[in-house]
Amino acid sequence: MNGQGNDLDLLLAGARDEIQPSAALMERVLADAAALQPRVMPVRAAPPSRGWLAGLFDVFGGSGAVAGMSAVTAAGLFLGFVQPTSLSSLTEALQGGTEVVENMELLPADGLLWAGE
Amino acid sequence: MNMARDTLAEVSDEALVVLYANGDPDAARLLMQRLLPRVLSYATRMVSDRAEAEDVAQESMLRLWKIAPEWRQGEAKVSTWLYRVATNLCTDRLRARQRRRAVALEDAPEMPDGAASAVAGLIARQRLDALQAALDSLPDRQRQAVVLRHIEGWGNPEIAQVMEIGVEAVESLTARGKRALAAALSGQRAALGYDEEDEAP
Repeated sequence: MNGQGNDLDLLLAGARDEIQPSAALMERVLADAAALQPRVMPVRAAPPSRGWLAGLFDVFGGSGAVAGMSAVTAAGLFLGFVQPTSLSSLTEALQGGTEVVENMELLPADGLLWAGE
Repeated sequence: MNMARDTLAEVSDEALVVLYANGDPDAARLLMQRLLPRVLSYATRMVSDRAEAEDVAQESMLRLWKIAPEWRQGEAKVSTWLYRVATNLCTDRLRARQRRRAVALEDAPEMPDGAASAVAGLIARQRLDALQAALDSLPDRQRQAVVLRHIEGWGNPEIAQVMEIGVEAVESLTARGKRALAAALSGQRAALGYDEEDEAP
């Protein structure tokens, strides 16, 4: 039995050679691996910072909007200081004259309170 | 996250699975090179059919690719897990084959030719064919235990993990399987080129 047992051990040992997979099988396995491999999104560098002024412009709608607001502000200041005649005439026409109410009695005179004395 | 292949060669199977899940293109090829020949050899000895064994090996690797994103290092060895999957797939195929009642010894796999002479190669081939036929005659669980222990060279604790049984049950299965193998081959010693006089008294 020993000889037979040794023969069996030799036979089993001789069967240990790995069976090499065919090229077709390896291709199929790699194709499966490629199809099932999770996709990792590449990490992109953040765009360079444009500074605090650009950020401030963005708050007001961009540099174009800020330029427009600046122009209107300058025009308003100009008109306020210079007060062109034509603009004054227009203002008078809209307000119906140049009279200005300076005082208005919203409470009756305090003499009314002492009328009974 | 791509690592140089020289570096990957020293990485464990478990780490390669994680690298594969992280998108490393070389990890899958290395895992395949390490594991596919082993699982193919095991499946071939289990199902005795090269085409079926290739299907089992491919399906086992497919399940590894699928589970890779959820792989937790330290819980199990990749090879143990893969052999367990292959064992279950082989068992399913053997049961299906039994249901079809189509077991045929001529389905024995093609074994690689040795570099020895043609006659020696023929004898070696006959011996391997006889061994495969004897393995096929064993009950499934005995065959699994014998192949894992005596051909794949695994230890009993690892076989217990693969077969999901206790170590004592593995010892019992391998012992009974080896006795049955010896009995199945006992009448073929002369035909297989073993000298009867070699047998000890």
